[in-house]
Amino acid sequence: MTEKKIGAFICRCGGNISDYVDVEQVRKEIAREDNVTVAGINMFSCSDASQEDMIANIRENGLDGIVIASCSPKLHLNTFRAMAERAGLNPYQYIQVNIREQCSWAHTHNKDAATRKAVSLVREGVAKAKLSEPLTPIELTAQPSVMVIGAGLAGMRAALALGEMGVTVYLVEAAPEPGGSIKGRKSLFPDNSSGHELVESLLERIRANGNIVLYTSAEILEKTGSVGNFTIRIQVDGKNETTLSVGAVIVSTGSGSYRPTDGEFGFGLSCVLTLNQYIDMLDSSTDTFLLNGRKIRNIAYIYCVGSRRTGKEGNRYCSRYCCSAAVHTAVRTHEVDPSIGQFHFYRDIRTYGAYEELYHEALKKGSVFLKYGLKDPPQVTEVSGSGLRIRAKDLLTGAETVELETDLVVLVTGMVPGENSQLIDILKLPVGKEGFFNEIHPKLRPVETVMDGIYIAGACQGPKTLSESVVSGMAAVAKSASLVLTGKVNLDPFVARVLTEKCTGCGECISSCPYGAISMKETPDGTVVEITESLCKGEGACVAICNEEALEIKGYGHNMIKAMIEALGG
Amino acid sequence: MESAVTLADMGFDVALVEKEASIGGKMILLSKVFPTLDCSSCISTPKMAAVANHPRITLFTYSNVKSVKRDAHGFRVRVVSRNSYVDPQKCTGCSQCETVCTVARPDQFNDGMIARRAIYIPFPQSVPKKAVIEKKGLSPCSQACPAGIRAHGIVSLARAGKFREAAKRHLEDSPFPAALSCLCYAPCENRCTKGKTKKGAPIPIKGVSSLMANGYYGSNDQVAIKTAPDAPEKRVAVMDAGPAGLSAAYHLALNGYEVTVFTKDSAPGGILAEGVPEAGLSRELVAREIDNVIGAGVIIDTDTSMTPEEAGRRGFAAALAPVPWNPDLVMDPVVKDGIVTYPELVDRPYLLAHAIGWGRRAAVMVQALVEKRNSEDALVLVPALKREKIPAKDPHYTVATKLSEENVQEAVSGCLDCGVCSECRQCVEVCPGGAIDLAMKPSTCEIDTDSVVLATGFRLFDPARKPLLGYSRYPNVITAMQMDRLLAPTRPYNALLRPSDGKIPGNIAFVLCTGSRDVNAGNPRCSRICCMYSIKQAQLIMGALPISEVTIYYIDIRAFGKGYDEFFQQAEGMGTHFVKGKVVRVEEVKDQNLRVHFEDMEGKGGLRQANHDLVVLSVGAISNPGIVKVLGDDRVEQDELSYIREVDGTVEPGRTSVDGIFVAGAASGPKDIPDSVVHAGAASAQAASYLIRTGALK
Repeated sequence: MTEKKIGAFICRCGGNISDYVDVEQVRKEIAREDNVTVAGINMFSCSDASQEDMIANIRENGLDGIVIASCSPKLHLNTFRAMAERAGLNPYQYIQVNIREQCSWAHTHNKDAATRKAVSLVREGVAKAKLSEPLTPIELTAQPSVMVIGAGLAGMRAALALGEMGVTVYLVEAAPEPGGSIKGRKSLFPDNSSGHELVESLLERIRANGNIVLYTSAEILEKTGSVGNFTIRIQVDGKNETTLSVGAVIVSTGSGSYRPTDGEFGFGLSCVLTLNQYIDMLDSSTDTFLLNGRKIRNIAYIYCVGSRRTGKEGNRYCSRYCCSAAVHTAVRTHEVDPSIGQFHFYRDIRTYGAYEELYHEALKKGSVFLKYGLKDPPQVTEVSGSGLRIRAKDLLTGAETVELETDLVVLVTGMVPGENSQLIDILKLPVGKEGFFNEIHPKLRPVETVMDGIYIAGACQGPKTLSESVVSGMAAVAKSASLVLTGKVNLDPFVARVLTEKCTGCGECISSCPYGAISMKETPDGTVVEITESLCKGEGACVAICNEEALEIKGYGHNMIKAMIEALGG
Repeated sequence: MESAVTLADMGFDVALVEKEASIGGKMILLSKVFPTLDCSSCISTPKMAAVANHPRITLFTYSNVKSVKRDAHGFRVRVVSRNSYVDPQKCTGCSQCETVCTVARPDQFNDGMIARRAIYIPFPQSVPKKAVIEKKGLSPCSQACPAGIRAHGIVSLARAGKFREAAKRHLEDSPFPAALSCLCYAPCENRCTKGKTKKGAPIPIKGVSSLMANGYYGSNDQVAIKTAPDAPEKRVAVMDAGPAGLSAAYHLALNGYEVTVFTKDSAPGGILAEGVPEAGLSRELVAREIDNVIGAGVIIDTDTSMTPEEAGRRGFAAALAPVPWNPDLVMDPVVKDGIVTYPELVDRPYLLAHAIGWGRRAAVMVQALVEKRNSEDALVLVPALKREKIPAKDPHYTVATKLSEENVQEAVSGCLDCGVCSECRQCVEVCPGGAIDLAMKPSTCEIDTDSVVLATGFRLFDPARKPLLGYSRYPNVITAMQMDRLLAPTRPYNALLRPSDGKIPGNIAFVLCTGSRDVNAGNPRCSRICCMYSIKQAQLIMGALPISEVTIYYIDIRAFGKGYDEFFQQAEGMGTHFVKGKVVRVEEVKDQNLRVHFEDMEGKGGLRQANHDLVVLSVGAISNPGIVKVLGDDRVEQDELSYIREVDGTVEPGRTSVDGIFVAGAASGPKDIPDSVVHAGAASAQAASYLIRTGALK
């Protein structure tokens, strides 16, 4: 290996650094280091003028590694990588050392120590630069097609949007019919739209769009490949198998509905229904409004059934949509028969945003709201001949005990994760502690999963209203479209590499990899492991587990890390 | 930002227009975010950097969209970049300008709790990290000065204790600071806004100037004499050693001209030569001021007669001469045949400022003449004078109030900084990049786009509209945004204090639904974010001040998002008191503590009171519909609360009533951060789909 020529540039940051760190001292000490050909000082390294100076320096001195000691790489790593590239240097041979946040700003009280620390850190950077090697981002081509799993409203709308962008879409639905949970609904909150009509109009647009293939009664059997190039085997109607190549996958499998345990708030009694059962009844009833042949005079709603529990039973989370759905249902009921008395036993009414108007409407139409606490939940008992009796403590009237005879109790039940264990297994989908699919980050990457190229949308991610499900479906469209429309996938080059001469083929690392990126490979010299770069995230679990030091992350090799530690210590 | 990055990632070119000097919106100002308690900066800054570095995004900060007009190809968008007076190419964000700026303004990024400077970088994590100057024209005092002295600059420098710098600043405009402070009839004080307020007296600008000039001459030895430049093509003859002639000579010499002043008299100074003792102007002071002129490199030839014709023969490129005062005289220098003339002062020393102004304007005209260019831009510095503005008769000398350095600062502390930037030029001098240019003009550009995404967010309810809650009356009633700033890593006081006395609050109340779910406040809807941010703040307060009590007055706790109810339960577990009750009134009691009157909805019921030492109003979100006005014929529909209406909220998120215009985030209704980000993704998908359908994607 020829001797590297390294340029080190110390930034004053207009005083931000040089007021506390003796930059000239740092420069002098670094100039003495082996391989350091150039050691300079910039007033502002990030300014155009300084960048041009450094570019000239790199070219004139034929530098093949540079260190800039300035601010946090969060700020200017990309700036200087781009500069290195303009100078003809591989951007990964640029090393940034943070002597602002970590030295001058942190140690304003002790300038000597700040300077000494800066010298150590820059030495460490030089040690890294000495061993740096040119790396190229991994570029993959992406299939111009997307699979959408789950043809509920979110999935259908997502498929349509992608189809309209000219992307081939395979819309895969497990049920015999598309439409998900709303297809039979007559009136949905907040605007009383018909679920049936929504589904039908979307289906019409999907059929009219030539890019969307709909599979119903279909099941996912197997997934191979990685982002940009997935190969997915599906089975339709339990017999016909098809293999599809797609660049990305959107999972929009929806949610299930909480089923109360027997006896929970009287569940199991004939006049105790879940909200969904009651809405079914409302949807199917015509002008008369009867239950078991009897006219309904009073309805009691019990909210948060199976949600917001603090104990071991039930779910801790709030199901988000149920308050609004319940008050909307109450408004509908008032409209069907204004003489029906409606009593709501709630904990907090969460009709957030504009849904608040539904709550007002229910109040205006005569709904009565009573607040119960978790300590004294309402008790539902059957009264022979006259229906049900509900007994509760109303916190709004000084925890007075209220007794109410009612013909119907509606349990406002929340959402639960759908049954997806097979899909989770095949797609390696990350699942949160509640059983819903997990995004990478709720704010930064809300529809992306740790599996590159696999996106989640709708209520499979957590309770959502219908419109919110569609919104997240469309967000997943945007993310997947950027992948398949550009046709390219760029991955960071910081992936694991196998030093085959050291690998004993023990296979310990394979199980340590959460992404399934490591596999066995037979070679003439024996069995070793190999890395599928497109699956590797470079997180390094395999590096730590390997006893032979036969694995390392590119750009963070064992030699390099050791040299850096030595430079810091020396 | 999310929409821009998402669309750019899909391969579209995006212009992102932001009215503030940095991107980041409200989120970057927050402390931490619910329910994960991630640091807000840690989440925002990578996104901000992604926007700034994206090759397909062109960023326009400190810019406003003036109009959006549909044409055959799409939309033509007119973007006006507000004048920042700082060249972003040269500014490195080093902040040195902020340290020398003499004008303080309420910091809008700290909700007015502390001050920033007139030149400022919005906040430490700004993208771009460039300074901008807040400047609203010239302050009335500066504008009133016939000599073009930046009176506001002098005042603001004096306020900062920078008397020497003030004198130097004056000398950039005139060589006669002492004479002016004695003789001028001070139109600046006349125009001072402070003097027009109910009880206010004008800022004693003359007194300040007097102190400044005397102090300067007292502490300075003779002015270093600059030798006259040898510039034959820029040789000018001035046939007047009075104030106007000397002023013209001074400014020409400062601009590299070789200037000779000719006078028949044996000493320069004209009507000032002997001093004006009744106004307190001594001969010695006049001599010092004439030294300023000589120091600038002007040659003064006494006992010499000179005519313009003779000057022409002697090879002077231009000549200046006064013309005798007469009632019809034009009150401005006049250029004719290479000769610039201006009115002669004779017996009107109180018009000294006018004479200096004429001299300056004459100098500019000479330069334009010699260098054969337009003088209009430069003449703006010292506006022409209207005859009616000139006092008809001697207004008598008002001898300047004698001020000491100690009481002058008190006297000028009342300055209202009318034009914000005072043009003291301290920043110009200190800027290592030479980035600041006070003569800069705003720029306008037209962008042709195929589609428009509106992501203008929301505003916070102004709690002053609920006077019973005491905001703006009691210092210890603050908004939740202020509390978030108090808790942020870049917080204003570096501690959680209450505003009135800097005491650490021990018993804090949050009033939820301030301006939400409130028909009387004009907002019947729920704002979706306030419950959660209040719970977040409660947790952060309990972390920062473990012995503090935190009480949240609520109607319903709406913790409806993923992980939100768990977050609420966590706050309950930490000991936050949740009281179901509508707060009706907050009143101040002893020690500026506060008594909260609330309707106790659980428990005993009825109206009850509780004492707290800090009350936080959890203000709701209201619409920010300003952008709709610029859309002209393509005005999008709005809902009853002026949010931009989505035509079909269920299946067409982000689509407005106008084809090609989309809405992202809280501009269509209040949303928390995750919901905004996801909605922005959806709006991007809508825009992308539209662009592809209409064939705009190359």
